Amino acid sequence: MIRFENVSVQYPNGVRALNDISIRVRKGDFVFIVGPTGSGKSTLLKLIYREIVPTSGTVLVDGEDVGTLKPSQVPYLRRKLGIVFQDFKLLPQKNVWENLAFAMRAIGKHPREIRRRVSEVLNLVGLSHRCDAFPHQMSGGEQQRAAIARALVNYPTVLLADEPTGNLDPETSWDIMQLLEQINTHGTTVLVATHDSQIVDRMKKRVIQLESGRVVRDQEEGVYQHTNLTEDLCCGA
Amino acid sequence: MGLRSIEYVIQEAFTGIRRNGLMAFASVSTIALSLGVLGTFALLALAANRFVLSRVNQFEIAVFIEGKTLADIKPALERIRSIPGVESLSVRDRMKEWEAFKRDRPDFESAGVPFDVLPFAVDVKVSDPSRIAPIAAEIRTIKGVDRVNESRELVDRVLAVLQVVRVLSILGVGVLLITTAFIISNAIRLTLYARRLEIKIMQLVGATNQFIRLPLVLEGIVLGSVGAVVAWLFLALGGRYVSAVAEKIVFIGRISSGVDRAELALGLVILGALIGAVGSLVSIRRFLHD
Repeated sequence: MIRFENVSVQYPNGVRALNDISIRVRKGDFVFIVGPTGSGKSTLLKLIYREIVPTSGTVLVDGEDVGTLKPSQVPYLRRKLGIVFQDFKLLPQKNVWENLAFAMRAIGKHPREIRRRVSEVLNLVGLSHRCDAFPHQMSGGEQQRAAIARALVNYPTVLLADEPTGNLDPETSWDIMQLLEQINTHGTTVLVATHDSQIVDRMKKRVIQLESGRVVRDQEEGVYQHTNLTEDLCCGA
Repeated sequence: MGLRSIEYVIQEAFTGIRRNGLMAFASVSTIALSLGVLGTFALLALAANRFVLSRVNQFEIAVFIEGKTLADIKPALERIRSIPGVESLSVRDRMKEWEAFKRDRPDFESAGVPFDVLPFAVDVKVSDPSRIAPIAAEIRTIKGVDRVNESRELVDRVLAVLQVVRVLSILGVGVLLITTAFIISNAIRLTLYARRLEIKIMQLVGATNQFIRLPLVLEGIVLGSVGAVVAWLFLALGGRYVSAVAEKIVFIGRISSGVDRAELALGLVILGALIGAVGSLVSIRRFLHD
């Protein structure tokens, strides 16, 4: 499904974000990507949705080399992916229903299909009753549910979540993770970048741990690792 | 592109304008002001051009053709008329010419001399003053033509002035056009900046660049056209006032640019739409590749 082969990324400012990474994610997997800030988690996700291209190595999604994709083909890659961010990225002047409809309209879906699918997805994330609320009228958890609904609305095969619980309290974070797990059981591959150790420990999913751009651990049913990584980094440097 | 996509593009464009009312207002006023200045300058340049031309058009070529009767010079007249660029001919009254000639030279022994020793004088009007010299040269080669007066020096001087006016006005309009396009591109960049989240989300959900671009380009076209209409109102009303005042002050009488109101409106709207489209395309290009 998703394969990284000896992938390195060096940003123009000289920072080496990823260093010779090779990983493989199968269809239907649920994977946590963990590590401290700056360890390369976001970079790894950005490679998958082609926000950036690798400096060397290859990134394959569905057997397709993402790094050499023509710009005109990028939109079609992204239609296979649902992306969720820490800051939700909901359009403030549109209500929940319109935010979801916008994502479908943007790729030319039929109004009839939009009506049907938006209701269906809102129902799935438990927001049917809030469909005409504007983002500023909702709690953080509700906003993230709306954002997840939007990510799902175009039937992605992979859901990418970059710190989805970064702005949420532990209780709400847990609810969101349950939702992601539920989505995963429906067959969607889920990749979550997080440094929320409590959640990772509780979920017992596959954990890929990054440190300074390298994979230091790839473990089924892993935990976050209980040592304080940030402190390690500071002292070890 | 299907019917639904077109519907989407139109809908999105107008929603965009409505939702970003203040930015739309700012763009429209910028475009209106820029086009107003551009239009004023262009109209003044046209008026100046026309004024100089109207002076030049008073020049014609005087041709003297030998012959006893009008029938004798008919072939020569036919040939002159067939030269491209010749607008009209008029043969002067030979009796009157003869009287004038005698009056001018009282010492001339005119008694017994028949009036038809004088050549026929023909005034040739030319449509393009810059063609006077070659046409005069061609007339000279025609059989029976005695003399050709083309008042060359004066024509040349007026043509030189006209040339300067033309070059200056083309330069001026060119500079203003570029400045206008730049200002409009900036105004549209601001509206894009205000909507960067929307564009980002469209990119992330896999909207093609075409789908992102088209509503914004249409928006640029609409804003450009509306700005042009405002500029037109300004120019049409202002122009009437200015020419009314000028007529009273300036001794040369009424000067007009020769552009009627419908032409002006059409020209401005096309220009506004074009500038709006180009401005938003340029801005979006930069935006999408950031």
